[in-house]
Amino acid sequence: MGKYIVGRLLRWIPSIFILLLLIYALVFFGAGDPIKLIFLRAPGDVAYDEARIEAIRESAGLNRPFPVQFGDYISHIIRGDFGNSLVSGRSVNEMLSAAVPVTLQIGLTAVFFLALIGILLGVIAALNQNKLIDNLIVGFALFIWGIPVFVSGPLIIVFMVMVIGADIPYGWSGLFSPKVIVPLLVLGLNPMALIIRQARAAVLEVMSEDYVRTARAKGLPSQIVVFRHMLRPVLIPVFSQLGLIVINTLNNSILIEKVFGLPGLGRLTESAIKDSDYPVILAIVLIFSIVVMLSNLLVDIMYPLLDPRAEYKRKGGEE
Amino acid sequence: MDASERQYSLTKDAFNRLVANKLAIIGLVVIVLLILVAVFGPLLTPYDFLSQDLTERNAPPSAKHWFGTDDLGRDILSRVIYGARTAVIVAFSVTILSFLIGIILGSIAGYMGGKVDSFITWLIDITMSVPSLLIVIVINVSLKPTLVNWMDAQFMATHNEFWRNTIIVDFGIVFGSLALIKWPKAARLIRGQILSIRNKNYVIAAKAIGVPTPKILTSYVIPNAIGPIIVLFSATLGEAMVLESSFSFLGVGVRPPMPSWGNMISDGLRVWQVYPHILAAPAIVLGIVTIAFSFLGDGLNDALNPRQWK
Repeated sequence: MGKYIVGRLLRWIPSIFILLLLIYALVFFGAGDPIKLIFLRAPGDVAYDEARIEAIRESAGLNRPFPVQFGDYISHIIRGDFGNSLVSGRSVNEMLSAAVPVTLQIGLTAVFFLALIGILLGVIAALNQNKLIDNLIVGFALFIWGIPVFVSGPLIIVFMVMVIGADIPYGWSGLFSPKVIVPLLVLGLNPMALIIRQARAAVLEVMSEDYVRTARAKGLPSQIVVFRHMLRPVLIPVFSQLGLIVINTLNNSILIEKVFGLPGLGRLTESAIKDSDYPVILAIVLIFSIVVMLSNLLVDIMYPLLDPRAEYKRKGGEE
Repeated sequence: MDASERQYSLTKDAFNRLVANKLAIIGLVVIVLLILVAVFGPLLTPYDFLSQDLTERNAPPSAKHWFGTDDLGRDILSRVIYGARTAVIVAFSVTILSFLIGIILGSIAGYMGGKVDSFITWLIDITMSVPSLLIVIVINVSLKPTLVNWMDAQFMATHNEFWRNTIIVDFGIVFGSLALIKWPKAARLIRGQILSIRNKNYVIAAKAIGVPTPKILTSYVIPNAIGPIIVLFSATLGEAMVLESSFSFLGVGVRPPMPSWGNMISDGLRVWQVYPHILAAPAIVLGIVTIAFSFLGDGLNDALNPRQWK
């Protein structure tokens, strides 16, 4: 297993390198001069003083050729230094260490609850196949699957404030403040549809298996059948969606943190985009890729534990 | 012949299943309406989407302005209709472009096999596992201003009116970057279909009795492969539409004054406590359209992939 993980990591490193190279090249050749970008915002007319710009560029090492600068950037990243923001001049590491915990806490909590509720709803739907409750749950899943978070978020806020008269859920005061409930709901709803459908399909498939029929035939109460015989085969397909759910949640956090005034990664991304703050954007791309890669790796490691047949197949056994 | 034994063709059969699904039909009707609105947009709008009436800023919905007006006194209904144009144009271009890439790469991988196949599969895997939204944002943020500046310079130099059309650049970069992250699903599907159908007994048998290749393609391969492709096509249309409005919502997609539902929602968020109608119209319309795609996609999936039947 250890060898397998190392192999996966080794295969991942070149692709992340290519990704960083592409983005660095885009920024380097596409976005224009970073010094000019900085001083266009700064007071004074430095941006139009070619001689001074050239001097600053010289001292910052920005007039070196592309491969040298990229190599320099990579060696800094390997040492864990993401450089400084073009806008505020603060170190990107500092900005990240303030933002990452917020998104991490909200994202993980949302994924946990959406998985729990989603599996529950999926199992209920499957056990009542083609009855009213099944149709309602499936309809609900279709409904929430489509809606983008930047539509559902604002609509829920407007509803809460205008109809119920609640306070506006804005800002961040820790995971246990009631303000996070709405953002959690909005972040969780969209991928929950995926879980409901996966769980429902999995239960329907398992129900026709021989061992479940046997368990029923020998008179086991249906709760025990569900928990002992169905839970594991149902968890597998749900679990395999983890990578997709993580990407989804990260993307959605970019879109809704602004709406709810959360000072997380999404907010940081959004303001970095607005200011063309490339060191920040590059660091976030790297972090997002690492998170996605790690969650895919986790799925691959856990999969054989949940489903021993997969391990057997990987070792070259016949099905 | 007895009615119950009547034979239906593959398409007729799928069509019957689709019509029986009420939600799917509702979705289809909404989407057809959307496309009609987009095509005939200029004939339907009560006002020009850019014309400002500063005496009637932020007016609530009324008989004169059905959806009210925004902070510049522009008619929101007209802007929503033009937003539908943006959404439909982007959705179809992105979907067609990504399917073109997907069909080319997917069929190369499926037919050639070997090293080419593993390279393309690797490319698909990478593209699917990078944070796609961010990549598209970086492409848009870094390339767009540079290209627009370049076009401005061209205009100053030549005074050719063509260089004033920076909207083309806007749309071009949005299409291109979105297609760049949307093609892997199509490629993977096409590759899988080719691999699975090529070795099916009926294809091998047809080859063996000497059926010409074009006939094999049209009578055996395409009818069997087309179902999942249509399902993916419809899903991609919906996703591309949502992505376009996401980017415009973040301010990197289609830029104002060109209306997009995304930038209208973003504008509405600033003033919703005072003028909720500015937020409500584009948000509700985008919500309805995405739900319609979700309903239609599910119906198509049930109708065209009978093997998934439970």
